[in-house]
Amino acid sequence: MNTNKNEKFQATTEKNGNSCTVYLLGELDLSVAPDFRLVMEPLVSDAESDLIINLKDLKYIDSTGIGILLSILKARHGMQTRFKVEQVPPQIQKLFDMTGIAKFFAPNENSQ
Amino acid sequence: MNAEVQRVVISLPAKAEYVDIVRLNLYGIASKMGFSYEDIEDMKVAVSEACNNSVLYAYGKQDGIVEVAFEVLEDMLSITVRDEGESFERNSPSGSVTLHDKELLDVEIGGLGFYLMEALMDEVSIENAAGRGTKVVMSKRLMRSEEKV
Repeated sequence: MNTNKNEKFQATTEKNGNSCTVYLLGELDLSVAPDFRLVMEPLVSDAESDLIINLKDLKYIDSTGIGILLSILKARHGMQTRFKVEQVPPQIQKLFDMTGIAKFFAPNENSQ
Repeated sequence: MNAEVQRVVISLPAKAEYVDIVRLNLYGIASKMGFSYEDIEDMKVAVSEACNNSVLYAYGKQDGIVEVAFEVLEDMLSITVRDEGESFERNSPSGSVTLHDKELLDVEIGGLGFYLMEALMDEVSIENAAGRGTKVVMSKRLMRSEEKV
């Protein structure tokens, strides 16, 4: 386990037909929140594509990051467009469960 | 073995890009003490939330300092995060701050940071003195695993 390798936050976008997946890598915290918001803005407002955020390589998230995910959830819900979060690492799932945001990521997309 | 408290103190600019330095220090100290991976992850989130609050609310647009003190006790790690700015107000002083019993359209994120600190640490205390900054003290007990050294 190499903990000195502090990976810089990255958000990589992959378009695939009519879905768009954003892969997050590193630590999503207060310092990178403005960058992340900028990347997400056009993708969130694109009603033509399904939006997926993949958290497989996300090492850390703070309440600022959770807040951004929540605002994306709200925006997509308001537009009645699809949004999901996939491959959530256990330590991040724990925070989603604790804060209660997890239920909005439930696989049944019709549930509130 | 002596029961003296060993202290490690770091002082950082109250800026978002330094909060990861606190996490790195925490990782070093907590892993040396023998905390589990999960406990260290919990403490990382809690201490970062305390630092975020100092960064966001303590100094307004002015530069300031956040001091983080780690106190290494025999079976406990106590962490103090202190700033000397204006005191911040708790966003949600009462009631539920989590999203469990809320509908999506009603939820707001204010207060989640405090909630996480309290949920992830064994003890948290917050002192606000008007005009004299904020001090958050949090601690976690070291659970010895079965494989004793």
